[in-house]
Amino acid sequence: MKKLFLILLISFPFVINGQSKFSTTHSNQNLTCSSCHSCTIPTKENPCIKPCPRESMIRVDQKPEEGPRIIVIDKLRDTDIYAPVKFSHLAHAEMSDMTGGCRTCHHYNPPGNVIGCSDCHEVSRNRTDISKPDLKGAYHQQCMTCHRSWSGKTDCIECHAAKEKADLKPVKAKDEKAKRIHPEIKTPDKITYNTKTDRGKLVTFYHNDHTDLFRLECSQCHSNESCAKCHSQIKKPADLKITFAEQHKKCSNCHETKNNCNTCHSNKETERFNHKVSTGFDLSKFHSKLSCIRCHTTPAKFTGLNKDCVTCHGSWSWDNFNHKITGLVLDELHGELDCESCHKEKSYASPSCGDCHDDKTYPKEKPGKLIKR
Amino acid sequence: MVDESRRKFLKTTALVGAGITGLSTKTVKAGPKNILDENRMGVLVDTTVCIGCRKCEWACKTAHDLPTQPLDTYEDRSVFEKMRRPDDKALTVVNEYAARETEQFPLNVKVQCMHCDRPACVSACIVGAISKEENGSVIWDTDKCIGCRYCMVACPFQIPAFEFEKAWHPEIRKCDFCFERTKEGKLPACVEICPMEVLTYGTRKSLIERAHQKISLYPDRYVNHVYGQYEVGGTSWLYLASRDFAELQFPKLGTNPAPGVSEAIQHGIFAYFVPPIALYALLGGVMWINKKKAESNKDKEVHHE
Repeated sequence: MKKLFLILLISFPFVINGQSKFSTTHSNQNLTCSSCHSCTIPTKENPCIKPCPRESMIRVDQKPEEGPRIIVIDKLRDTDIYAPVKFSHLAHAEMSDMTGGCRTCHHYNPPGNVIGCSDCHEVSRNRTDISKPDLKGAYHQQCMTCHRSWSGKTDCIECHAAKEKADLKPVKAKDEKAKRIHPEIKTPDKITYNTKTDRGKLVTFYHNDHTDLFRLECSQCHSNESCAKCHSQIKKPADLKITFAEQHKKCSNCHETKNNCNTCHSNKETERFNHKVSTGFDLSKFHSKLSCIRCHTTPAKFTGLNKDCVTCHGSWSWDNFNHKITGLVLDELHGELDCESCHKEKSYASPSCGDCHDDKTYPKEKPGKLIKR
Repeated sequence: MVDESRRKFLKTTALVGAGITGLSTKTVKAGPKNILDENRMGVLVDTTVCIGCRKCEWACKTAHDLPTQPLDTYEDRSVFEKMRRPDDKALTVVNEYAARETEQFPLNVKVQCMHCDRPACVSACIVGAISKEENGSVIWDTDKCIGCRYCMVACPFQIPAFEFEKAWHPEIRKCDFCFERTKEGKLPACVEICPMEVLTYGTRKSLIERAHQKISLYPDRYVNHVYGQYEVGGTSWLYLASRDFAELQFPKLGTNPAPGVSEAIQHGIFAYFVPPIALYALLGGVMWINKKKAESNKDKEVHHE
């Protein structure tokens, strides 16, 4: 009996866990139980959810168009000295595209529908649980961080109408078909940074090479950026004194920035990245249509590949390689030979005919017919 | 002869005084009827959140029937050009400290009475007009106040102000933690209006807990110091900041209650009325001896004649 009781007691937590619908979105995230729960055995009654640590919180992002276009923030209508704000949600959602997506504001964003501020933040300021701001505080802390850095202003009337002047007609949120408000962000092709260092003042940055060629996601560099990054009318965050590490953070994800300054810094503008010049491996012949990731499989690390074809292609033989793509269709006789019969080097570059023929050389004589590639 | 006795007198008084001072330095009397309520309230001021909108100043004046400019004039930020102190016309003021090289925004700090747990003003008040209440506020009874302004001298934060320019019935003025409002279950006016919830109202215990939680969650945002947790024996108003409090004109105070030493001396001297009685007895004795001596001298003089 005692044993049975013990077994039941031990298996109890597992049973509880087994019963709850453990969302698949959770399991796809890099999470442990302790990411969200402060106790070892959370239950439905006592989930002991940790107070939101913004950055590490799990999140689900939606497209700007999926959210409401306009929200009238009137939960505090009765007590506030200002009129409710007509909040252009869509415009803000679009702006947040460049930053952290929905979680820029919806910092606690568990799987499912994106939840609004008032789902967690209490309307009443006079409350017992002070572990998070009340609704008014939450709204303003959220809005002011960007608005202040953007315009430098803290005036209430930037967003609120005075109560007596307020247009209290309800806004029909679905009047207009949701369309983009924020103009599409034009990406620059080339930016030349004028840095303060003595050795190599200029850093020539080819933005579109990074996005198109190296296939970096926007958010890999542009995360947690505020509107002020582009729109600032006052001191920009970029003007602030920051440490060397912070300054190079975005680049050092891929580039070695501690010792090899010359990779990026130079005294004159540098040329666009050219695979042949920089690495000695010419892509233009056969590999021009490939994306970097096809060969450089470790994300965002583009170094250290062996130039031998077999590194990527494995071993070739007459039955798994169509010689036609090189622009030379082998004749019947040569088509059945092993590659190595002619291509002595691993680079498969210049073939030699000497093994079989005493009197023939490539490219004077050819083992087949040339075609247009 | 006369000189000698005066010296003796001074010596005795000094000795008695010194003895009394040593009697008790630990029992401080200033407190809410000498007991601090476990659930006394407080306010946590997170200066890193404040945007300097000065709505609190307006709300405070409105709640206390003090003359004020209209609300929209408070958006004029030129007032921050000089540092201000709370006075009899503004019980709370917000000051601004310029952003440092690494910061984007200036820092705004609201100043008002800290509502000490062991208030020096309560201790210094000779008529017992000031009191520390159960809910944490330090308030005063205008009818009892005689305008001696000892509280102004005693306050380690230099908060109580006096209506000097009033000829008729000037009063002491300071933040009263909106005692009348909180009595009705309302929030203090400044706490209620603050758009950013810079000011969090709650039990002092929970505020301290929250303050330390904030520091541990965002260690880059705050200096590891909750001002008011230990200063002068603890205050009801607590502060968080992103830089050293000394740079924000917060006085560097020890953890001992401000009234500690002064009360020990004052209360010691008059404890159970024994020292005064003893002193007068001593003086009486000295006089009696002197009188006797004088009489015998007179006798001698008479005898000589």
